[in-house]
Amino acid sequence: MLKVRIIPILTFNGFGLVKTKKFANPRMVGNPVQYAKVYNSRGVDELVFVDIFASTQKRKINLKLVADVIKECYMPVAIGGGIESINDINDLLKIGADKVIIKTKALLDKEFIKQAVTFFGSQCISIAVDAYATSEGYKIFNKLNIDISIADFIREMTDCKVGEFVLMSVDKDGMMDGFDIDLINHVINITNIPVIVAGGGGNMEHYNELFSKTNVKAVGSASIFHFTQFTPLDIKNELKKINIPVRI
Amino acid sequence: MVAIIDYGMGNVASVQKALNFLSVKNVITDDHDAIKAADIILLPGVGSFAQGMKNLQERNLIELLKDEVMVKKKKFLGICLGMQLIMEKGIEPHECEGLGWIEGQVVKFELEHLNVPHMGWNNIDVLNNTYYENCETKDFYFIHSYHVLPKNKIDIAATVDYGFDVVASIQRGNIFATQFHPEKSQNAGLAILKTFFGINA
Repeated sequence: MLKVRIIPILTFNGFGLVKTKKFANPRMVGNPVQYAKVYNSRGVDELVFVDIFASTQKRKINLKLVADVIKECYMPVAIGGGIESINDINDLLKIGADKVIIKTKALLDKEFIKQAVTFFGSQCISIAVDAYATSEGYKIFNKLNIDISIADFIREMTDCKVGEFVLMSVDKDGMMDGFDIDLINHVINITNIPVIVAGGGGNMEHYNELFSKTNVKAVGSASIFHFTQFTPLDIKNELKKINIPVRI
Repeated sequence: MVAIIDYGMGNVASVQKALNFLSVKNVITDDHDAIKAADIILLPGVGSFAQGMKNLQERNLIELLKDEVMVKKKKFLGICLGMQLIMEKGIEPHECEGLGWIEGQVVKFELEHLNVPHMGWNNIDVLNNTYYENCETKDFYFIHSYHVLPKNKIDIAATVDYGFDVVASIQRGNIFATQFHPEKSQNAGLAILKTFFGINA
């Protein structure tokens, strides 16, 4: 049986790891290589590493640093930030990334995503979906003034045959007050592609609720690991109690 | 010496990292002499079947690999796409002949209620224990949208439950292959690699 994945998310600002709240006020939390080392020794299911400022600051991700992070990992690693070309993807795969996470370029250029899928296969192209609630429903949060609903974007990317979505609730980011269950069910009902959900996990009850009320198979978290004593294993032990399949 | 075949199809770095961790001598190469000199052939790879065959063809590796694995009977490990390519035929993204060392084909998942790709950790059922005897846990990391259908059931070394019994591993003689990624499966994966490369723990 497929196990649910508990995935630490490391967000990077070009210098160190940061954690945001509602995509703002980045707070320094530490050194990415150290974190990778710790998560590897804890046998986490997977790791996500994203340079969240690369695209807006118009710079490339620091390949040397990413290589040092990946070097510590004997589990799958997904890398995102500032990816604009087939070469950018190639550079990341060459140093051992298993998946790349694309957001800005996916909003701007659907053809590029199709091309990337053809070239590298669906399985290594993940799409970041940053959702926020508006009076007209959930939309994609972006700094490009692109107005697109979550549903339209998910459908477009599903047609491009991408391998996975990383769905982040901007409203819940860093708030640690529970997942946006409505958003998550909204998304997983429109696509058959795996979704990693993120944003809102703060205590064990939140994870119980997430896996009881949705059919999602993967969750990404940051704040709970940075700011509480809970580890990915604690979450799994808790889920095991309610018969959610986990890898321990 | 293990020749990790470099044919431009991803994840060679992770495979090499795992081998280095186990102190298995290896080289990432598409050089014919280096491949001929190696005693074990490892074909990794992620990406599409047709692209994989095209890349092997462009490097003139199809005949060479056949000679090394099927004639000289060198030990062979195929991982993910490297397992799919040893079949006779694939369809990703269009119909395409494979290496054809194992009878059968590669088809797309057609699942109503399950996500495709099959992505994440799943436990396997072992049918042929040769390389699995030292695994304490049987959870491995899968990431694939296509799966293999061998003609001869005897070639199936392990299956995984994803809507039905999906072939997770193949073994026949000197050929061993996994749909999952042992190099990404932490201790369980390293245990298989240790057994395959004959390292006593």
